[in-house]
Amino acid sequence: MLVDTVVVGGGVIGCAVADALARAGRKVHLLDATLPGRATSASAGGLWAVGESIGLGCGVILHAQENPDAEQAGPMPLPRVFMDFLLAGNRQFPRLGPELKERTGIDVEVESGTGLLYLLYEDNHVQHARQLQDWLGQESDLMVTWSPEEVRDHDPCLTDELAGGVFFPGDNQVNPMLLAEAWKRSAILAGAEFHPCRVERIERAGKSFLLHSGSERWESPELVIAAGAWSGDLAQMVGASLPVFPVRGQIVCTETLSRTLRSNLSTPDCYVLQKSHGEVIVGSTTERSDFGTQVRPGDLRDLARGACRAVPGLASLAVKRTWAGLRPGTPDEFPVLGPDPDIENLYYATGGFRTGIVAAPITAELVACSILGTTPSFPQEPFLARRFRDAPGPEASQRDSSSSSRTESDSVA
Amino acid sequence: MSAPDVLVIGGGPAGMGAALEAANSGLTCVLVDESPELGGQIYRAPLPEAEQAMSPHPHGAYLRQKVRESSGIEVRTGCSAWGVFEGPEVPVSSEGSTIVYRPKALVIAPGAYEFVPPFPGWTLPGVMTPGAAQILVKTMGIEPGKRVILAGTGPFLPAVASQLVRAGVGVTAVLEASPRHHWWTLPWHGFRTPSILREGLGYLATLRRARVPILYRRGIVEVRGGERMTHVAHAPLDDHWAPNLSRREEIEADTLCVGYGFVPRVHLAQSAGCELEFRDEQGGWVPRRDAEFATSVEGVYSVGDGAGVAGAWSAESEGRIAGLAIARRLGALEPGDFDRQQRPWRTKLDRLTPIRRALDRICRIRSGLFESIQDDTLVCRCEELPWKTVRSAIDFGADQFRSLKVATRLGMGPCQGRFCWPATSRMIARQCQVGVEQVGPSSARPPLRPVSLGCLASMDEEAR
Repeated sequence: MLVDTVVVGGGVIGCAVADALARAGRKVHLLDATLPGRATSASAGGLWAVGESIGLGCGVILHAQENPDAEQAGPMPLPRVFMDFLLAGNRQFPRLGPELKERTGIDVEVESGTGLLYLLYEDNHVQHARQLQDWLGQESDLMVTWSPEEVRDHDPCLTDELAGGVFFPGDNQVNPMLLAEAWKRSAILAGAEFHPCRVERIERAGKSFLLHSGSERWESPELVIAAGAWSGDLAQMVGASLPVFPVRGQIVCTETLSRTLRSNLSTPDCYVLQKSHGEVIVGSTTERSDFGTQVRPGDLRDLARGACRAVPGLASLAVKRTWAGLRPGTPDEFPVLGPDPDIENLYYATGGFRTGIVAAPITAELVACSILGTTPSFPQEPFLARRFRDAPGPEASQRDSSSSSRTESDSVA
Repeated sequence: MSAPDVLVIGGGPAGMGAALEAANSGLTCVLVDESPELGGQIYRAPLPEAEQAMSPHPHGAYLRQKVRESSGIEVRTGCSAWGVFEGPEVPVSSEGSTIVYRPKALVIAPGAYEFVPPFPGWTLPGVMTPGAAQILVKTMGIEPGKRVILAGTGPFLPAVASQLVRAGVGVTAVLEASPRHHWWTLPWHGFRTPSILREGLGYLATLRRARVPILYRRGIVEVRGGERMTHVAHAPLDDHWAPNLSRREEIEADTLCVGYGFVPRVHLAQSAGCELEFRDEQGGWVPRRDAEFATSVEGVYSVGDGAGVAGAWSAESEGRIAGLAIARRLGALEPGDFDRQQRPWRTKLDRLTPIRRALDRICRIRSGLFESIQDDTLVCRCEELPWKTVRSAIDFGADQFRSLKVATRLGMGPCQGRFCWPATSRMIARQCQVGVEQVGPSSARPPLRPVSLGCLASMDEEAR
């Protein structure tokens, strides 16, 4: 089958890119294997642009772990451009939600006004928060520091053993699975074709890409790899080298209950948030891993402890299910967006790591612009795959490093 | 953490059989079951209050006593095993506390549950499974209703119907989906276990005496009512079980017991990572097993109806053989002794096979069963999902459990799809015109039984 563009990967990123291209008039084919562990289905759907980029989205970021700085009382923020990038994505949700609803009938449950509250349990956490506030600029309204009393006034169901809190008023949430589904349907309604299948082989035929899945075949002059944690393997099929690796996250989900948590919560142990249908989601571990999606009793226990510590009343809730997802990690924790430096018409929309959902709208825009040759609203430069070639560092070997199991708490306190 | 030689999950005939043989060979064994007493669904023990009304099944009582007498078996009733992790490591919870077991061998024997297809009105109060009605009568001595209809397929229907009749419950009719003449194709000469034949004929005689009609080739098309069901609409079925709606009839009834055979409870095996295979005649997805009922995961065995529906006698034989195989594997039994001891159980199993095959053929689910489903018929009760929502997700390319789940929340409720998926997967196969096996199984995510967050948080420190 001859088409304009093939997008491989039907998670939130692939669907967003397919939608952007289809609505720009491209004949898009979206191929998706729905493999166990896709990060879209394991994401809690936090739109924590500020919290995640300064390292408090849920305790820890790999970047901070691997670049310990004696001056810091906690994880270091990622470079400023990353936060600006996430903020650019986050800003689109209030508009995006109603638009998707109108196009597809699906309410992706964009929530505003809840914010993200990071709980500070100890004095050194408070000190760390001060350093982050300095980094942001003291007057920044992206982050507000609260006393223990202010935290409890905000939400009385929280523990009273607190040293304080940090509130990020703009960090809200969305339903990641419905977001992917809505983008997928929007793309299909705009003329894209969706194929549930697993790409087994990719060949080059002149300037085209030939994709094989069973007896099916697609020929396309343009290929977008948006396959999350599996993107590195797909790039390899085309002969490209892409340092994207799986980073496992285990999650606990409770039964539904009426609205109880006023804000999304993040702590040094875990994050805790209540989705609009009432389930409380507690996540997550951050493990450099293989492609296995198993959960471990000890890790689940630690997450449950973290949640009960933050909100003691949650202890009586029944756990409905637990599972693990595989985030697409990169050595510098930045996503990989735009063209491959060597292979013409090969594009990436991957490496979203912990922030793929909040970054999805701006990711789709950047990638679609680079394919369509238009100018995006945000510079693409920091996210180009070229950076791995220009600056070959120790990260090349990190892919092979042994998988480690550890929860968020290990590296924060 | 506790490390017995063998952990057996499920105290029905299969689990008791496995525990008895393992313990007889000198192994230490922990047997866990969720009910207050051992026996499983088939040999369920009555509560003391109801004991006078219903006498326990004699063979069940015998097995129970043997297990209780065995010094090698620690029985833990009222306990839930809610997942099998790498190791195998099995957390077992009871009243808010959790012990993690790390046995040398694990036997999974959780039994089966009833297959209930959705139809208009199936969520009305008064609609239940024959098994639920049986528990009400046998265990608690409670009447499920005044005018009861049983519908579905298989020998369990007349069995429950006759138990209801004996308990004094008013049974109006039994509707069996397959034609009467199919039942005459059973290999009657093959009943070399005469007690089964006697039991079956006894049920039919009870129904005849009570003038309860068995209507063959009939199926439910709708249940009507207000706060509780009041009417059952049924119609004649063709060879594919598609109803002929022009000959629809209604009967007054306050209770409908509907069960189209059984589905193996494979979720523990699935969470252990055991490979599954699709065996339509055994109720759907079952763990792949070798001749001694070992699964694809080292040290994990699966026996009884939970590994492929075949009834209590087969279940016990499978359990016994697996128990012996484990004893040989752990060095507690010489290979020669194993051969000798397993032989009678193997013979029993072999004798049951022809009857089982014939029953499977008669009672196999036919695709017409789903023809009475309307757009607004709920298919997932937990999430209150109507069929039209699922169908629309199929139209947008979802074609398996994982993709439907994320698109519609199908199977995201407390049952994790255990109850809706057996029927929904067949409906999807029908819609997409593919085989049910291509649609795939549902996924199993711990905890497979309810556990509180606090209970999870207090799990013992040694758990990895």
